[in-house]
Amino acid sequence: MITFLIRRLLWVIPVILVVSMLTFLLMHGIPGGPFDAEKALPQVIIDNLNAKYHLDDPLWKQYLDYMWGFVRFDLGPSIAYRSRSVNEILSDQWPVTALLGSVSFAIAFIGGVLLGTISAFRQNSIVDHASMFISMLGLSIPNMALGPLLMWIFALNLKWLPAATWGTPAHIVLPAITLGTAFMASFARITRASILQVIREDYIQTARAKGVRESIVLIKHCLRNALIPVVTIAGPSFAAIMTGSMIVERIFAIPGIGKYYVTSVGNRDYPVVMAMTLIFALAVVIMNLLVDVSYGILDPRIRYN
Amino acid sequence: MLLLNMVKQGTKERKPRSLGKDALRRLSRNSAAVVGGVIVLALLILAVGANWIAPYHYTEGRIIDNYLHPNAEHLMGCDFMGRDLMSRLIYGTRVSLSAALVGAFTSFFIGVTYGLISGFAGGKVDNVMMRFVDIMWGFPTLILIILLMVYFKSTFSTVDPGTFKGALSALDSRMGGMFFIFVGIGITSWLGMARLVRGMTLSVREKEYIEATRAIGTPRSRILFRHVFPNVLGPAIVSQALMIPSFILYEAFLSFIGLGVNPPMPSWGMMLNEGYVAMRSHPHLVLFPAIAISVTLFAFNFLGDGVRDAFDPKQVG
Repeated sequence: MITFLIRRLLWVIPVILVVSMLTFLLMHGIPGGPFDAEKALPQVIIDNLNAKYHLDDPLWKQYLDYMWGFVRFDLGPSIAYRSRSVNEILSDQWPVTALLGSVSFAIAFIGGVLLGTISAFRQNSIVDHASMFISMLGLSIPNMALGPLLMWIFALNLKWLPAATWGTPAHIVLPAITLGTAFMASFARITRASILQVIREDYIQTARAKGVRESIVLIKHCLRNALIPVVTIAGPSFAAIMTGSMIVERIFAIPGIGKYYVTSVGNRDYPVVMAMTLIFALAVVIMNLLVDVSYGILDPRIRYN
Repeated sequence: MLLLNMVKQGTKERKPRSLGKDALRRLSRNSAAVVGGVIVLALLILAVGANWIAPYHYTEGRIIDNYLHPNAEHLMGCDFMGRDLMSRLIYGTRVSLSAALVGAFTSFFIGVTYGLISGFAGGKVDNVMMRFVDIMWGFPTLILIILLMVYFKSTFSTVDPGTFKGALSALDSRMGGMFFIFVGIGITSWLGMARLVRGMTLSVREKEYIEATRAIGTPRSRILFRHVFPNVLGPAIVSQALMIPSFILYEAFLSFIGLGVNPPMPSWGMMLNEGYVAMRSHPHLVLFPAIAISVTLFAFNFLGDGVRDAFDPKQVG
């Protein structure tokens, strides 16, 4: 287990290296720099600015400097927001995205597993058909359509919830539902399919035969094993929820980092783009690591060696 | 004797059927999949025949009609520039479906080629190729596609049209920005396909019939194309069919954040982006594009599920 963890943690290094190099090269390959403006600045000023932000160094040196800063958690200055460092921008905006993402993920995971479980245990009933239809609907409405629709119904017409911006718990409700619905639907579908497969296994038969109470069979024997494929997609889903917040933050005017990502790419704000990309990639890698670890907890047959 | 007769009768009643025919029969019994298929067919007709079906051209509009609500002349109203919303939705079908189909084809081609080579070569080559896939797996798709789109759009457009990059850029602007969307989708979504195909190639490679062909001296390239490839193809197509909705979503996502099609080319994602800012007083601007994209995804999801179930009857859910 320990060696497995160490090996997987070491795996983070090549991922971060490749992601950072690719992002760095793509960003610097784009023509134009951060100081291009409608009204062109005098060349002397541009030269000075480039020197200040070390943009006149050779590319490999800029990259190494950046990565050296990155491992010391010094993400450099933002070029577009002159007076702020990337660390400040992230510490202001990352918690917002993380909170929105976590609430959406919790809604998606809990709601999806519940919906899928109910569906599977009442297979082919009207409840099953209804919840599977709703899941398919949830999977089919993209968040860029669902967000405005929810906002129109619950905020503009019914006036139950605030339409946009951020601050109180009420502000989280609509964006979190918008972001979580599609994932809830896919969790529900996978939970249902997985339970229906597990329930036919011999060990369920054995448990019933030796007189274990039905509720214990369903929860301890069936659900626990059925959750393994659900956990498998939980990792990538969490990462997708985090990046998916780019759209939702835009629609609901939420001051998270997703909204700034696209703007920063447009501004050629190299340090901000690098930092956000690396943080999203780290989130993906760490979630996948947690998923691998949780297999061992759910299924004792899996050994790490 | 009686038993023999029964067996004979049994064989007479059931005609031999191929896997494909069997699958088609199961598919036609799945009513949700049939509905999905009919909608997809209707969308294809709309996309191909947009020139004749749409009442107006997608660029045609009078500024005096801006934000016009649905009426007899404009069944779904007009957008912020007075262009007929229904016509733009119909032309938008083209963008969505071609992103789905061409994107699917590109990523299918890359993924299958990569997976076949990796699985068939085995050993060190396989190891290196799969480690690369593992590493790229850590790169969030949406982030990579944003970076690539910005890179393509701004790098290539400044190049002289005589060169290769310039020619690609010219092609892209003739296609209203769709070409780079295809490329972007293609090179970001082949990883799963490569893994799947590589896994299947590894298992097919060890089968007895491959050993038999090898024993009679069949060249490696022939084994790859005639024996391994056809056995890998079926599951690969099914898995790609299930991916189609995500390609439609990528296109809508890109157009929503302004990195997709170039205006005035209509895309549902872009129309949603234009619509939600004026939603308070003109809800039709959001409502109709939202319905269009949801119904399309709904149809492809149901059809994809049906295809998967038809090819794999053991599958539940």
